[in-house]
Amino acid sequence: MIEPVALKDFFITFFSSALIILAGASYALLYAWSKVNPNSRIKIAAYFSYAVLVISVGVLSSAANFSGYWLIVTILMIIGYFFAPIGIWHLCVKTHHNEEAAITINKRRSNE
Amino acid sequence: MKSGGLAGVIENAGVLVDRSRGYWQDFQNWVQLDSSTLSPGRQLAVKYFIVAVILFCAQILFGLLAALQFIFPGFLYEFLDFSVNRMVHINAMVVWMLFGFFGCIYWLLEDESGTEIVGLKYGIWAFWILTGAVALVVLVYLFVQIGPGKDSSLWFINEGREYIEAPRWADIGIVAVVLTFFYNVVATFSKGKWSGIAGVLTLDLVALAGLYVAGMFYMTNITHEQYWWWWVIHLWVEATWEVLVGVIMAWSLMKLLGVRRKIVETWLYIEVALMFGSGILGLGHHYFWIGTPEYWLTIGGFFSALEPIPLVAMVVHAVYDAGAHSFKTGNHPALAWIIAQAFGNFFGAGVWGFMHTLPQINLYTHGTQWSASHGHLAFFGAYATINIAFFYLAIQHWRGDVWMAGGIKNAWRWKWALGLLNIGVLGMTIALLIAGYEQSFVERAVEGSTWGGYFAAQSHPAFQSAMTWRLFFGLITASGLGLLVWDLLTIGKGEERKAEMPQQV
Repeated sequence: MIEPVALKDFFITFFSSALIILAGASYALLYAWSKVNPNSRIKIAAYFSYAVLVISVGVLSSAANFSGYWLIVTILMIIGYFFAPIGIWHLCVKTHHNEEAAITINKRRSNE
Repeated sequence: MKSGGLAGVIENAGVLVDRSRGYWQDFQNWVQLDSSTLSPGRQLAVKYFIVAVILFCAQILFGLLAALQFIFPGFLYEFLDFSVNRMVHINAMVVWMLFGFFGCIYWLLEDESGTEIVGLKYGIWAFWILTGAVALVVLVYLFVQIGPGKDSSLWFINEGREYIEAPRWADIGIVAVVLTFFYNVVATFSKGKWSGIAGVLTLDLVALAGLYVAGMFYMTNITHEQYWWWWVIHLWVEATWEVLVGVIMAWSLMKLLGVRRKIVETWLYIEVALMFGSGILGLGHHYFWIGTPEYWLTIGGFFSALEPIPLVAMVVHAVYDAGAHSFKTGNHPALAWIIAQAFGNFFGAGVWGFMHTLPQINLYTHGTQWSASHGHLAFFGAYATINIAFFYLAIQHWRGDVWMAGGIKNAWRWKWALGLLNIGVLGMTIALLIAGYEQSFVERAVEGSTWGGYFAAQSHPAFQSAMTWRLFFGLITASGLGLLVWDLLTIGKGEERKAEMPQQV
């Protein structure tokens, strides 16, 4: 059975949930950007966003009293959010692989 | 009635008709739009767009009345009650979006299939039947506001399910209209050529017609009743509409930015797979409190967490495209609304959805203004925006593929309309979020979901203040809509330059 959120944790629950999605999107955005424009600072920012996501998930797990299989679901979510942008990026490259523009990006990347 | 009196009435009616014709002629001269340049299929699409915009105005009007009644509960009491205003507000939204989607599909159908619409005559009939039925249903809502709920009221007045209140005869009519629409789409593609877009659209329309039927059962068991209700709300509105939006978006991107067909179709398949993969079981988050087994708490929570993945995919792909191409488009307003769609969909469905989805918190937020906050941003962000983007695509072609990019006359109108509508909806979303937070806290958590708690929350200063802000931002939305209608009627008027249509890369 679930244990509802405590009164004092109301705000932190909403806030950490929202932050999970925002940090997940920021990670995806910065990861993709770091691929288009190879720059170590962008890549570090992407991993920083992912770290924010992990912390947010931790805060949410604590505030929302996750235990038992809820923790397994949480870990799966963290892993899923890490690999999803990487997988989606590869899909992007595959769907565009005939394009000259994509080749240009690859060339630029290999030159650097 | 005396015969002289009757003649007077007929004479007056004749004068009224003549005057209306005159106004209509003046209006046509003012907008300078000539439908004879459109194919018959696109003329039908335009009819749907016009009704969609009128219903959009009705949605906002009744929303404003309902918002006023939160602050002044006695306003229009026993004349136009809150329940009626709210019902018309929500149903107008559902129906205007449906009209918009039908219009979009009729608009792209001939272009995509490479042939004329097969059952155009049936399509026109279906349009008039649907429009007439909607008008009649609204009139019944307005004139029959109270009374006992009987079998006859179920058939002729209101089925009683929140958000899908249409009487059963209208429900049957909606399914018949969707089936006619389905026939037109399938028969036209069968006569012309099939494509990935055509395949996804056809399958989606099967679900669009089929899932709506789930809302037409009547059951005495409230849990079963709620199951079917959520099927319509979640699987019909949120799944089949999202796919429909995907189809419209895919076609729009090809026309607007010249994106290759292979790319948009591949992403359309991926989006559909992700959406159904997470969306069908994500429906479980609606089953939390209706008496279903406890495993739905976990299934609903887990798959709800996956629901934003398609949106994350969209973000990655947008960055890829922005890096790989230099976007050029001949229609700035349409592109701006498509960008608004990406943001609105992500924040409204993704962020606002997940904030209150997990059962540990949803126990307190379910059915409060929190849901209204999420609903306002998600529906506007995901659906209204794409319809508006398409209206701009259509009007450009209607005006003869004129220039609608940088340096267009009166560009401030579309920019301000875009700004006011988005700021208005975002403001309402935040105001409702604050009201929902207060309601969850006071009514649910502190007072334990009692009637006393309900009234304590409704009369709380924070709730009242939030509702005042909601009204303020509602007025901003209304002014944005007024500007949008003005802009749609006049944009490109007198423009001599032709648009540079993007080539597919």
